[in-house]
Amino acid sequence: MTMTRRTLARAGLTTLASLGFAAFAASASAQEPGLTPTSIKIGMFAPLSGANMAYGFDVANAAKMYFDKINKEGGIHGRKIEVVLEDDRCNANDLVAAVKKLVEQDQVFLLNGGSCSAAVVAAKEYVVRSKVPLVMLNASGDGALYPPTDYIFGAFSISQYAVGGAMVDFAAKAFGAKKLAYINHDDAYGAWNLEGSKADAETLKVDLAVESVSPTINDVTAPFLKLRASNPDALLIVTYARPAALLIKKAAEMGFNKPIILSVTGTANLSQLTANVGGEAALKNFYVQDVLADLPGGPKIKWVYDMYKASYPDLAAKPDHPQSYMPYGIPSAMSIVKALQAAGPNPTREKVIEEMKKLNFDSGVMAGPVVFGPNERAANKATIFIKFDGKNQTLMPGVFTSRWKYKG
Amino acid sequence: MRIIALLGALALLVALPFFTTGYVVYLANLLLTFTVLCLGMHIVIGEAGQFSLAHAAFYGIGIYVAGISGTHFGTPFPVSMLLGGVAAALVGLVIGTVALRMRDIYLALATFAFGEAMQWVFLNWNAVTGGPNGLRIAPAQLFGLELVTDKHAYPFVVISAFIMLGLTILISRARIGRSFRALRESEVAAQAMGIPVQRAKLAAFGLSAFFAGVAGGMFTLFSTYIHPDSLGFSTTILVLTMVVVGGLGSIGGAVGGAIVFGLISELLRQAPSWQEIAYGTILVLFMMYAPKGLFAFLSDRMGRLRHG
Repeated sequence: MTMTRRTLARAGLTTLASLGFAAFAASASAQEPGLTPTSIKIGMFAPLSGANMAYGFDVANAAKMYFDKINKEGGIHGRKIEVVLEDDRCNANDLVAAVKKLVEQDQVFLLNGGSCSAAVVAAKEYVVRSKVPLVMLNASGDGALYPPTDYIFGAFSISQYAVGGAMVDFAAKAFGAKKLAYINHDDAYGAWNLEGSKADAETLKVDLAVESVSPTINDVTAPFLKLRASNPDALLIVTYARPAALLIKKAAEMGFNKPIILSVTGTANLSQLTANVGGEAALKNFYVQDVLADLPGGPKIKWVYDMYKASYPDLAAKPDHPQSYMPYGIPSAMSIVKALQAAGPNPTREKVIEEMKKLNFDSGVMAGPVVFGPNERAANKATIFIKFDGKNQTLMPGVFTSRWKYKG
Repeated sequence: MRIIALLGALALLVALPFFTTGYVVYLANLLLTFTVLCLGMHIVIGEAGQFSLAHAAFYGIGIYVAGISGTHFGTPFPVSMLLGGVAAALVGLVIGTVALRMRDIYLALATFAFGEAMQWVFLNWNAVTGGPNGLRIAPAQLFGLELVTDKHAYPFVVISAFIMLGLTILISRARIGRSFRALRESEVAAQAMGIPVQRAKLAAFGLSAFFAGVAGGMFTLFSTYIHPDSLGFSTTILVLTMVVVGGLGSIGGAVGGAIVFGLISELLRQAPSWQEIAYGTILVLFMMYAPKGLFAFLSDRMGRLRHG
């Protein structure tokens, strides 16, 4: 028995050693995959299940319905778009597995996916090494966009660097603010927001009084009091939902009557926010940032909601659909279609990448145009602002944009 | 029968990169890494009977230490992996010294708190871990040879997993393994037999952390990026589920649980609309019909078949 085990172990180790050398000898073919005379295969991935499904399920649906529309119109240079969809669960390991499956097993021409920034960044090295274009869905994904690579394009919703800067722009222009109380997170996202905000504040000659808090903070009294002591013209809240609700509630309790401006990251559900801050009274002088071209369901973007209803009648009949981020999938899909069209009847991945870098168009869905460039991989830096009183939403005139630029 | 099954498994492992894509090999690498994580969890919970809910934290320490030493100091990957394991073990011993004064649910809560605290450290120690931006890790290298793809890393991941499996068997059969099991069955009886209970507990905690750290090092063989989101309580629970479903207290159970449950999880990814229900149903069925674990259940069934 002992001999058998030893022999087995020796045989196993010898074979494993030879396997090591053989694996290095293998090399992949360099042909353009995912392309036939009649089809282009696109690998899509998003969170389709679990707690983070709201970030990407309907965003992927929106991109798919746009590709379906293009297919009905004849496709791209006679080729129909074929989507292979994978669930990335908003988790780095699952996302990388999904991407590797799409590239190596399904042999897609390009990738269109990513709704969660932290997870999508995990695929960066692999995508760049595999030289497969990745056009994100709605993830900001700044960690994958800067420093720029040839293969990854994103931030169709908005770059994290631009969120705070656009708020500073709005406060200065709409209220003539010269001194702003600014509260962000004490992590890298907060640092990115602040970097952009400082760039805009400097240009607009606005002073920022900054407090940084943990995303899981329970008591915001101290940072709020510090900010109020700076006598600001407006309070800018650049946080996630939990600190945002606590701050708005605290401001109401302490009789703060200056404008409160909340970032797009601060809520995905205004009714929930109203409940969390204790009712409408806390929202008397309240503004919330959005990255769409209009109020949700407003006339400028009604066509997106109509298309969704026509494409997914069963889903549209459910109370929680379309999900808030649904329209974000359109500009991403539009960019892919435009780049493929511009790449001509014989597209290659490299040709598509070159065309992606030149994109500059108005999607009609987002607040600002999709603009890429030789050194720019974040599509959007523009936002709108909505006055919300707890019941009604009123669109504020104008589009507000961050001036921040990558200086790598 | 067992020899044939082992030979079959070995042949499958050897042949895998030759007839599958990089995606399948990536999954194999990940499952083998989780197998080592499960072996670590098996030592502390399955063998020594001590609650530890900080496994993801030790795994994270292993990833960061191995990744940083390889990226910034160019250490060959076996050294990086070992450093990752040793660093995790040292932290495990320090935390263990404090935590092991507690028992049962209090120990579970103390280790849970440590795991949460470590995730906060990973998330906020920007200068070292890259914070929420994540950390890019240079491809693992040995004598100038870079492991750039999953297939490159695979043989080394397999070898590492086998070494750790062998080590687990050695520990289990050695005096220390017997003292772990005595501790698990009755702390009072173990003490009466002359087993230094606190030292044994600490050894179990340290060894478990070492395994998790080495698993972290294995992760850096095929992955070039780590984000603190992957190192939270959900990872610890996933590993615990694998160990329990496989069969608490059995090495085969820990290995089988990691592989079977990892595969189920990946297969369910293809069915997003009902995967949570399926996942939950599978877990409930396991707990109802195979409470001692998958492998105890299978060997029980096979025994019954053999004896009519």
